Amino acid sequence: MPGKMKNTLLLSLLLLCGVLFSSCEKLAEKINPAGILMAGTAVEDRVDMSYKYFLNHLDNKVWLIAYGDYSFLVGADSHVTTDPGRMDEMFAIGLRDKDLFYAHLGDIADTKSEYYITLDSLIQEAKYRYVQENYIMQDEYHFIPREDKSGYFLPCTYDEIQFPFFPVVGNHDITRNGWALWSNIFHSSFYEIDVIDFLDDGTMAFDHLIFLDSASGTLGTTQIKLIEEGVLNGKYSNGESIYRYTFVFSHTNIFKPQFNEFASTFTREETFYLLDKFEEWNVTCVFCGHVHTWDERNFNGVHYLTLDTMCEANNPDPGDYILRIHIDQDRYAYWTPVHMSSVGPKKK
Amino acid sequence: MKRFRYLFLILLLLQAATSASAQAFITYGGSRKFDGIHKNEIYGNLVYGGNVVTGRFFGEAASYTRHFTERWSITGGEQAQLLKQLYSLDLTGTYRIPFKRSSLFFDARVAGNRYHQWDVNELLINAAAYWETNYVDLRFGVSFIHYHKHNVKEEYKSYTDASYTEPPTLTVGLGINIRPRNNPWNLGLFIRNFDQFYYETWNINWGLRFHATLPWNDMKIYSEFNIRPAGSLSQLATRYETALKVGLKYAW
Repeated sequence: MPGKMKNTLLLSLLLLCGVLFSSCEKLAEKINPAGILMAGTAVEDRVDMSYKYFLNHLDNKVWLIAYGDYSFLVGADSHVTTDPGRMDEMFAIGLRDKDLFYAHLGDIADTKSEYYITLDSLIQEAKYRYVQENYIMQDEYHFIPREDKSGYFLPCTYDEIQFPFFPVVGNHDITRNGWALWSNIFHSSFYEIDVIDFLDDGTMAFDHLIFLDSASGTLGTTQIKLIEEGVLNGKYSNGESIYRYTFVFSHTNIFKPQFNEFASTFTREETFYLLDKFEEWNVTCVFCGHVHTWDERNFNGVHYLTLDTMCEANNPDPGDYILRIHIDQDRYAYWTPVHMSSVGPKKK
Repeated sequence: MKRFRYLFLILLLLQAATSASAQAFITYGGSRKFDGIHKNEIYGNLVYGGNVVTGRFFGEAASYTRHFTERWSITGGEQAQLLKQLYSLDLTGTYRIPFKRSSLFFDARVAGNRYHQWDVNELLINAAAYWETNYVDLRFGVSFIHYHKHNVKEEYKSYTDASYTEPPTLTVGLGINIRPRNNPWNLGLFIRNFDQFYYETWNINWGLRFHATLPWNDMKIYSEFNIRPAGSLSQLATRYETALKVGLKYAW
């Protein structure tokens, strides 16, 4: 066969494979082959928008208030499609056990508008239950917390109540230009939250929650510049940390847990940069998702937990898919697994 | 004892002397096969680029190959990327099997990187098969990567570590030239998950490569434009690093 003909045949075969691949609906929902060479959404735009949103809403900055010991839940990779059972269960568990907040490590829903509508309804329902449980009506429009030992809370409307669910953005959330859908619900992909803990001895302690936009496998120039400018530093001028505990939430994982893992993780330089930065921030624990595999390790005094997926399609049997982090006011933090009993669809 | 010290010094010097080429055959798109005349090859290239974490950087890489027989060769290399503060050394042993009109190479490689600004030392061991045809080259292998932070915080020393050995990482690469490999000039495309001194977990590099024979002394010029995005297999390939390498190869 002449060389030219062979080349044309090879090219046609490759194109045919591409067309067949893209036309397979189930695969196409999950996979975007073009994204291997060039993404449709840029981390620079996301961080830029998130930081502007943060600056424009400084008055509404979220502070979480705790009294002594408290706990929070962390879940990862729920990949909500048509069955949001596990997300619903996570909200119910938190409400039942009075966790202070929920953190989600990204890939909360696959990129499709119907899935985001399902997710938004789920969050609205969970918020309704949360308000019923934790607030009482002061008048026709205003609510006050059932328990407020701090005296910090002013009466607020239903819309002003922040449902304490804080996600980071994951790659599947936005693979097919899904940033518009994600940001419409959550607004910001790069942010921080402070927890003020009123301790039993009458003093206060501050804990720091850092949510990074790592969906693209890099923080990007803008996020790194902001970090280098010190927006997340949390230190007094003498270099001492303001915070008792610092927790970092990132979609992309730092450590690769196993050989047969075909997702991109951070590049070499960025891995070493982040390991160094977490150490500098005096981080207690870094929570990661992305690879659907459990991993726990300690590197230079920082604890790293990579969570398995809580998605029904990937893990259909009941199991320990989310974590509860316990903050003990006697200066230590620890985690316990939380069992989820909802069952995914049976595999055909 | 003295003898051992000398032996060690000689080995170190040999390593340094041979440490100038192992990486260049990754950049160079021409044939790696021993031409039957020139037993020694030396490569040297400059690199200039931009990286999201370290900003702009420039540096050099050099390597030396010695063909012992038609089949056996050894290559050593070094690189220094200033501003990025990355310094590397490597050594590769290669065995070639002729296969019809192509060549099948088996490389065993050990490399060390010093990421100075983060105080991290990295050790890489790679075993790979490399198939070189007239137009296409394919690489498939496996890498073992270990890194450690040199200075562990004093207060953590008793209960924590600052080192990590990654599970094995697959090495895959494909290159295509538009002219036959031994043409006086050539232009090609490549896609791979590694570069001269790093092997990534599924971050896919791609770019253009070029080489041409210069009109004197069997010297060749080679160049590569390397696009190194992050997050390729997360389907969100994002600008991370771009670099241009330009170098010369001399054989005698």
